[in-house]
Amino acid sequence: MPRLTIDGREIEAPAGQTVMEAAKAAGIFIPYFCWHPELSVPGNCRICVVGVEDKGGEWVDIACNMPVAEGMVVYTNSDKVRERRKATLQFITLNHPVDCGICDKAGECTLQDYHYEYNGERSVSVDSKVHATKHYDLSARIVLDNERCIQCTRCVRFTREVSMSFGLGMQNRADHSLVRAAEDGSFEADAYSDNVIDICPVGALLSRSFLHKSRVWYLKPAASVCPGCARGCAVNLWHRRPEWRLRAADMRAQNEGIQRVTPLENPAVNGPWICNKGRDLAKVFGRARAEVSMLKGRPADLHGALAQARSLLASARKPVAVVSSWGSNEELAAFKAALGSRFTTFVKADHEPQAGEVLEDAILIRADKNPNTAGARALFGDAAPAIPKDADLVLVWGEGFDFRLIPPEAKIVYLNAWLQPENGHADVFIPISIQTERDGHYTNFAGVTSAFSKCFAKPVGVADAEAVFPALAAMAGGGQ
Amino acid sequence: MSRKPHVRKQYWNEAEMGLWERSYLPEILRGLFITGGVFLRNMAKWMTGRKGALTTYYPEETRWDYAAANRGKHVLTRRPDGSPQCIACNMCATVCPAKVIEIEAGFDPADTAHPKFPVRFEIDYSRCVFCGLCVEACPEDAIRMAKEVPDLPSDDRRTMWLAKEELLQWQPQGDVAKPYPPAPPGAGKADRS
Repeated sequence: MPRLTIDGREIEAPAGQTVMEAAKAAGIFIPYFCWHPELSVPGNCRICVVGVEDKGGEWVDIACNMPVAEGMVVYTNSDKVRERRKATLQFITLNHPVDCGICDKAGECTLQDYHYEYNGERSVSVDSKVHATKHYDLSARIVLDNERCIQCTRCVRFTREVSMSFGLGMQNRADHSLVRAAEDGSFEADAYSDNVIDICPVGALLSRSFLHKSRVWYLKPAASVCPGCARGCAVNLWHRRPEWRLRAADMRAQNEGIQRVTPLENPAVNGPWICNKGRDLAKVFGRARAEVSMLKGRPADLHGALAQARSLLASARKPVAVVSSWGSNEELAAFKAALGSRFTTFVKADHEPQAGEVLEDAILIRADKNPNTAGARALFGDAAPAIPKDADLVLVWGEGFDFRLIPPEAKIVYLNAWLQPENGHADVFIPISIQTERDGHYTNFAGVTSAFSKCFAKPVGVADAEAVFPALAAMAGGGQ
Repeated sequence: MSRKPHVRKQYWNEAEMGLWERSYLPEILRGLFITGGVFLRNMAKWMTGRKGALTTYYPEETRWDYAAANRGKHVLTRRPDGSPQCIACNMCATVCPAKVIEIEAGFDPADTAHPKFPVRFEIDYSRCVFCGLCVEACPEDAIRMAKEVPDLPSDDRRTMWLAKEELLQWQPQGDVAKPYPPAPPGAGKADRS
């Protein structure tokens, strides 16, 4: 393996690696716009210039495309490099509108950061800026601001190398270059298109659903797991920081909502990408919630509902349970420990594939649209839910179960988080918390377990399923 | 250990009370007649629409002699077409030490010069500390502070919010930085102002 020196530190890097990769692995930062660890190397932004010591002094070239060589001496912060970087930034911002005040990327923008770090000066150009399309609808989900674009082509390469939709390309040349979608609509149909918003180093590509919704420094991420399919991609759920919570009337609802979803890099599961379905989790978690316990549709308090469920369970001769594939490993284990021996248990699919959604592909999306089917089946077996005719008590946990499959004379205990018509048909209905209101783990189809964390408080009157099961067992004598 | 008995300090203008003053009640009544008379005279003047006492009858009256640089109620400036100059960048809300400014932004793709605008702009005067940092942070000269204080006496802190419509009422006649009068309501884009 070649040995080289970067900023006076001796580093060993595998042959064929670039200086950028070697520096990154050693924890030495070299700025970059167009380079991305998962994409090809175009070398067009020129911001990653480094100096290399030579007999004639020091020559300067881009680190992202420079293979490491034995005895190489690299400087990332010499006078020559700093001067070149500054000139490059002047060039990159030549036509940039600097409208950070109204740009959603401000606060997490690479160009902004580098400008303060490496340039810090006004434009030296006396020519007026070239204007371009300020708002171009790249797709129904993405708005493009061509004036902010620095033509790094990360988005174009993403559609060619990762999502394979070949949906984006560059038009025209030089100052008039424009990112445009292919005419055949392949970008509109690209199920991974929103990743270009994250990899855009500036605010050129913006999410329509997050457009001007909040400045990013008002938000904080909660590490979570996308429940959209059995892949279980790691995601960040961005929600309002407590110190920035809104107080004005009818703006307070924003405090308790997911503002946006971005991927959380996890090489074992999803790498740095997620699909568009994962971006729309706010819709899944923002549905109307069931917050009141019910006995045959009549409101009851949680304590009374639990007592009624306990007495039903105590008198049942053949109880059957249908457990949720949206339950966390902790909740499923709590069910197994408290009630597992009392019930004949099946695992159900809470969510079936919707019309128009990608069923399965070779990148991330899986056909099973539930996050923890693997975790539930590991505890309760693979059998599909089949309620025996002589069952006299059926405990259903989670949404998406057809109550017509339950024998008419059987009593129903129903645990669900959402406001749905089935809730009133159950003999006992207990509202339970959702994923954003508790900590837990999901096990994905490949057996990888990922953790999700709590970001909101659960509504009053709602119980955690993990606490409901031991409470049911306490008097029913289950678990022995 | 013995303590010295307390000796009351003697003042040069010590009152010398005779028997009449020492009998207490007549002097008390005299004082009550003086204050009651002034009060009733002022109240009679006030009820008949005249000015009685020299004090300001807040909130019916407000002071006129605020300093020109007094930091009072916020105003939102307008563009010549009447739309708010604010671009909803949230710099004022971010810098505000009391976190009283809340802005909801909207998007108008048709207006390429000002695509982001405030749908709502609200200030909670129950918490505002009148520091003026919002005015200094504004990159667009969109928010200023008038010398008059907000007229918000209330016994419910939840009613002490002022919204965009109220803050946009400023009439900048004779202001060098804003020489134009704002367009009458209804002119330009109605949904923007």
